[in-house]
Formats: sequence, structure tokens, C-alpha cells
Amino acid sequence: MRIKSESTATPPSSPWRDGWSRRDFLKAAGMTVGGTVGGPLLAACSTSSGSSSSGPTQITFSSARFYGKSNMSQIVDEYNKSQSKVHVTYQELPPPSSSTEVHQTLVQQLARKDGTPDVFTQDVIWIAEFAGAGWAAPLDSYFSSSDRDAYFPGLIQACTWQGKLTALPWFVDAGMLYYRTDILQALGLQPPQTWADLTKTAQAAMSQQKANFGFLWQGKQAEVLVCDAVEFIASANGAILKPDGKTVTIADPPAVEAVQYMYDTIHQSKISPADVLSWDEEPSRRPFTSGQAALLRNWSYVWQNAQDPGGSTVVGKVGVVPLPHFDNGKSAACLGGYQYGVNAASKNKDAAVDFLRWMSQPAQQLRFATEVGLAPSKAAVYDDPALAKANPFMQSLKSVFVGATPRPVTPKYPQVTLVLQSQLSKALTQGDVKGALQAAKSQIEGIVKA
Amino acid sequence: MQPIPTIAEGPGTPSLRPARLPGLDTRTLRTVGLLLLPTIGTLAVVSLYPVFRGITLSLRNTTLSSQTDSFIGLQNFRTLLADAQFWNAWRNTIEFTAVSTLLETVLGLAMALVLFETFRGRGVVRASMLVPWAIPTVVTSKMFGWLFDGQNGIINYLLKGSHLIQANVNWYGSTQHALQTIVIADVWKTTPFMALLLLAGLQSISGTLNEAARVDGASAFQYFWRIRLPLLMPTLLIAALLRALDAFRIFDLPYVLTGGGPADSTETLSTLTYKHLFSGLQFGFGSALAMAMFLTELLIAIGFGVFLLRRMRASGG
Repeated sequence: MRIKSESTATPPSSPWRDGWSRRDFLKAAGMTVGGTVGGPLLAACSTSSGSSSSGPTQITFSSARFYGKSNMSQIVDEYNKSQSKVHVTYQELPPPSSSTEVHQTLVQQLARKDGTPDVFTQDVIWIAEFAGAGWAAPLDSYFSSSDRDAYFPGLIQACTWQGKLTALPWFVDAGMLYYRTDILQALGLQPPQTWADLTKTAQAAMSQQKANFGFLWQGKQAEVLVCDAVEFIASANGAILKPDGKTVTIADPPAVEAVQYMYDTIHQSKISPADVLSWDEEPSRRPFTSGQAALLRNWSYVWQNAQDPGGSTVVGKVGVVPLPHFDNGKSAACLGGYQYGVNAASKNKDAAVDFLRWMSQPAQQLRFATEVGLAPSKAAVYDDPALAKANPFMQSLKSVFVGATPRPVTPKYPQVTLVLQSQLSKALTQGDVKGALQAAKSQIEGIVKA
Repeated sequence: MQPIPTIAEGPGTPSLRPARLPGLDTRTLRTVGLLLLPTIGTLAVVSLYPVFRGITLSLRNTTLSSQTDSFIGLQNFRTLLADAQFWNAWRNTIEFTAVSTLLETVLGLAMALVLFETFRGRGVVRASMLVPWAIPTVVTSKMFGWLFDGQNGIINYLLKGSHLIQANVNWYGSTQHALQTIVIADVWKTTPFMALLLLAGLQSISGTLNEAARVDGASAFQYFWRIRLPLLMPTLLIAALLRALDAFRIFDLPYVLTGGGPADSTETLSTLTYKHLFSGLQFGFGSALAMAMFLTELLIAIGFGVFLLRRMRASGG
């Protein structure tokens, strides 16, 4: 049966041999393919050559997707309409919650070194990586020191790699302390200034049964753990990595003291439940907005949730202050947010910078603040009455952002953060803080010196 | 219809090459080749090339962000063998695979035995049994995140209400319980799949054996232990093999639920590989990790295979 079917598979006269010749077929196929592919190609060539000679300079802009009352492409369109020299084509990447995908796409695009996109936006932790690889153009010659002074100092520090400005701040987010105004009032206490104060406040709230949990933070083995640790460590006047990007200081006394404090909140003063070891932002936010906790470290987004009567039992009972500090340090807030960058391979850097200047104007920052909910990176914008009117909460965050502190600035950050997450989690669960930080130190040294 | 002589029956032709078959001239063979080409081509593109690329990448130090890309021989594997994180993930993965496969096989068998019996509403029960398996794992993970929440989770609430525990258990925030919690979630999700496979196996056992055993005075347990289980063994082993290979690649549950923590206690080979490959963009080292995973899986498969063959040979199959 099998043999029989095979003999019918090659009938004596196949369509190849009579009727249609193979050459005819190929010719026909070639024409179809040529028609569909070649046509647009020719058209594309003609438009691009035409526009570069007479029309505006064409540049492309890639950004993670942010939206609110207006979206990115509307704002880009406005720039296109505002002048006739430059035309920006906007490419949308996934939203910032899909950070890994955004990072991957950008790395693939930049590694091609073909100048596309000319302008991009990047998470604060990628700046050194992109600069170290030579993908981000230095911007020192375009933005003078007075231009830079308009931004919060921590942001410029985060945008600087090996003494060169390789990114321009766009918007800012940072860690902050949420507190229950009603509980603190009942206890007759002010929002805590130091971590020792915070321990006392939290213990008082718990012992007087005002709250189940004194203080909530994020200890899940994830990026947010590194953010929390940066805040504790910097507020003890310590650091994970020196600005030179080579000297690892995570096992120095200030860092050990800070991480020991994190451990103690769970195991010694018991102001935080052991569950924080598996909680990232949302699991730690929920008990707070349902009225179970007195104090919470989190990002600015929690404010909206806390004021939403649909999901919150603490509407109107929440205040925000900068995070506390240790006796010898000052308040630090882990810096989040996105920054602009210019592709080093871009052939139209002047046009790119013109676009950036427009996007960075106070008017545009105000618009991002009121319409997309992105906090301005320029301090002066916070004094604008329009912001006070549209978003008084955001205006109150100026004091938080002054203390914005970058995470370790190194092109190897993706590898460094994996070590930090693992060893910090070990320190917090197993209690050998010094040992874990020593291990982190030697592993990070191996990475940054390689 | 005339019986067609199979190749094996042909006198003195142990060779399997179809070229020796009568009636196939060179032209027909060329046609056969042409017809097979799409299959071979597809296999080469979707299966052989990625594996080959994985092997070559594992011998290079390719890292996208630092733009290094040169041949370094077995350096990645030397680093891997000295890497405590790799061995920790390896042990976690083996532990997860062994415990979850064992539990799922035993519970799946019990479920299959119950569902094999005739009772009212069996069809509905059989269908609804598959619901956990049909839910996407990411949803399962989120669901277990809520159920096993250390403070407000319903599991702690029920256990405390029934006085089985005194204080809340910190299910996935402590190194003792985190991997257990993930095993529980996986068992809940995948046991129905095992039950389904084993139910199919049970249905292939002839009912006359049961009648004969009953006539001979065998108890229900004897019938199960001496007749059903041995006959079910090949199905059981193949199902367990499938499950073990699948469990070994566990990714979504720890990725969503714990991120590998606390203190690396739920880091599995898949999550570690993902972190190196896609967060760190270390394609070389990440591929070496993937290779190590592949080799371990191969060993598991060979182990099962040898055991299965031995059993089949012993029972004269």
C-alpha cells in the first residue's frame, strides 16, 4: 500500500513539465515578489532623500509607554507643530512595568549603532551601562552647568558617568515615608526624623493597638530590596559603591549598621512582620491602605490608592514625609524615574538636542506632571502655582526629591543587583549581616573589576 | 488487500534503508527527498539550530551590554561549577522535581482510581477536575500569593481557626516554607493532569481480569497491588517521566511568587538562567547554565528510560 501511494506521488505528467514551464513560474513569482517588496522600497528611498534636502530633519524617539490625560505621541506631535526644523517620529516601547523588555529592546537597537533611535528614554539604572558601552552620547557640550543646576542634585549625579553627563533627567520618583496622621495625632507624636524615632513611634502604635503593624517596607528578593537598602545605607552616610564605580563599600560599618537596622525591624524591635521578606510594593501597600499599619516606605503612586475611597479605609488620614535617617546621616530617597539619552551613533545630534531642550522646558515638565502624573525633575517647577492647583501632593514631594540618591552607578549594574538581592535577602533572613555583606562585597568586586 | 511485506520480514535485509526496496528508482527517491525537505528544514530551523547555537554560545563570553564576544572554551562551565548560586539552584530544582513528582504521582493515582469507578455525576467530576490544570500558571501563582499570604491569607486563617497552628505561618517569606509553598501550588495545579494520564492507563486494563480475580477470591487490595499496579506501571513511569521533565523547568511559580527568594531558597535553574540571560544579558554564561540544565534533564530522562526498559523486559514485554 505504501509503495503504491508513492508511485502515485510522481504522476507521469506533473504540472512542472507540461503546461507551465519552471521558468515561466519563476518569472511570474519573481515579478510578484519584486512588485510587493521593491515598490515601497523605491518609494521610501525617494521620500527620505527628498525630505533631507528640503524638509525638516527626521529623528526618531523611543520611549517606554507612559500615559494619563494625554500620551507621549500627543506631546511629540506638539513639538513637531511648534517648529519646522525637526520632525520627530515616536516609537512606543512596552510600559515601564515591563522593564526587562524595554531594556532588551533598547540594548538591541543601540547595539546596532545605526543611529536609530536618535533619542530614547531610559531607566535610571541603565545609564552607566549605556554610557559604558559607548551608546549614549555625552551631553556636556550641549547643557551648561547652569542648565544642570536646575535639576535635583541626585539626578545629575545619576546621569553622570565617569565625569560626563550622558543622560538628561526627565521625571523623578523616589522612596518616601507614608504615615497615618490620625494615629500619630492620637499618640501625640510628630512624623519620625530618625530611624530611632521611627522605631519608637511604630512600637507605640503597636502597643497602644492603633495598628497591627508598626512599619512596612519591601524585603522581597527583587530590585525593590536594593532600593530600600540604598535608602537605609545612604541615610547612615554609607554607600554600596563609591562614585568611582570600583570601590565597594557595602561591608563598611555604616552599611552594616543600616542593614542590621533592617534586620532588627523584623527580629528585634519587631515593628515589621517577617512577611516583609516576601513583599514587594503592592503586598506592602495593601495592609497600609486597609488601615492595618502606621508607617510605610513606598513610592509616590501609593498616594492615589490611599485617597481612593473604593479601596482605601484611610482616605484623608495619610501624610508623607522624607524617610528618616541615622544620627550621623541625612534622609535619602532611592531614585527612580526615567531619563532622556541621545544615541551616540545619531547623525542628527543637534536636532536631537533641540528636541530635548523643548521637552525639558518647565512648561513641558509641568504638563507631564499635571497630565501624565510624572513628577518634574527641575526643582523650580514645584513652585509653579499651576502644579499646586492641579496636584498639591506632588508639590509637597519637593523635600523628598531633594534627598534623591542613585543606586550604584556601574555599567555592570544588572549583574551587581542580582548579587545585592541575593546577599541582602540572606542577611535579612539568616541574620549574619556582616558575613552576607562581606560576601556581597567580594562578589561585586569580582564583577566591577572584570 | 494484499499483505505488504515489512522491511524486517524481508529475507536477509536487516538494513532499514528504503533505497533497497524494489520499485524505487533514483527519480522517485529524489522526489521523496524533496518532499521530506520541508520537514527536515523546519526541524533544523526550530530545533537543531537553536540547540547548536546554545552550545556554541555557552563556549563564548558573549555579553550584550559590555559588548564582549569571543571564544573562551570551557571557562563558563568552570565558573559555573565553582558558583555556589548555581549549585543552590540545582539542589532546589532537584528537590522540587523529586517531591512534586512523587506527590503528584501518588495523589494522581488515588484520584484516577476514584474517577475510574462508576458513580453519579462522574462526568461532571472528571471534567471539573481539570480546571486547576487549565488555569494559566501566572494566575495560579497570584492566587496562591493571596491564599498563602502570611498575614491576611485564608490558609493561615483556616489553620488558626481549626487550632492546627498557634501563630501565622510566614509561607513564602521564610526559607523553611517558601519552597514547600511552591510545591503545594504545583501539586494543586498538576495532579489533575497526572490523574488524567493514569485514568487512561486504567481504562486500558481489561475488566475481565477483575472478574477473574474476584472469582479466585482476591481482595480489593490484592487486585490493586498484584494486578492493576503492575499493569499500570509502564503508564505510571511514562507519566512520571513527563511530569519530572516538566517540573524540572519550573519557572512561573517562583518567578511570580517569590522572585527566587528569600535568601535564594526558591531560586531554580530556570529563574537563575532567566536572570543571567535576560536581566544581565550575559548570553554566554546564561547559555552555559541552560546547557547544564539540559544535561541534568538528559540524565533524568536516561534514568527513567533505563528503569522503564528493565521493567518491560522483566515482565516479558
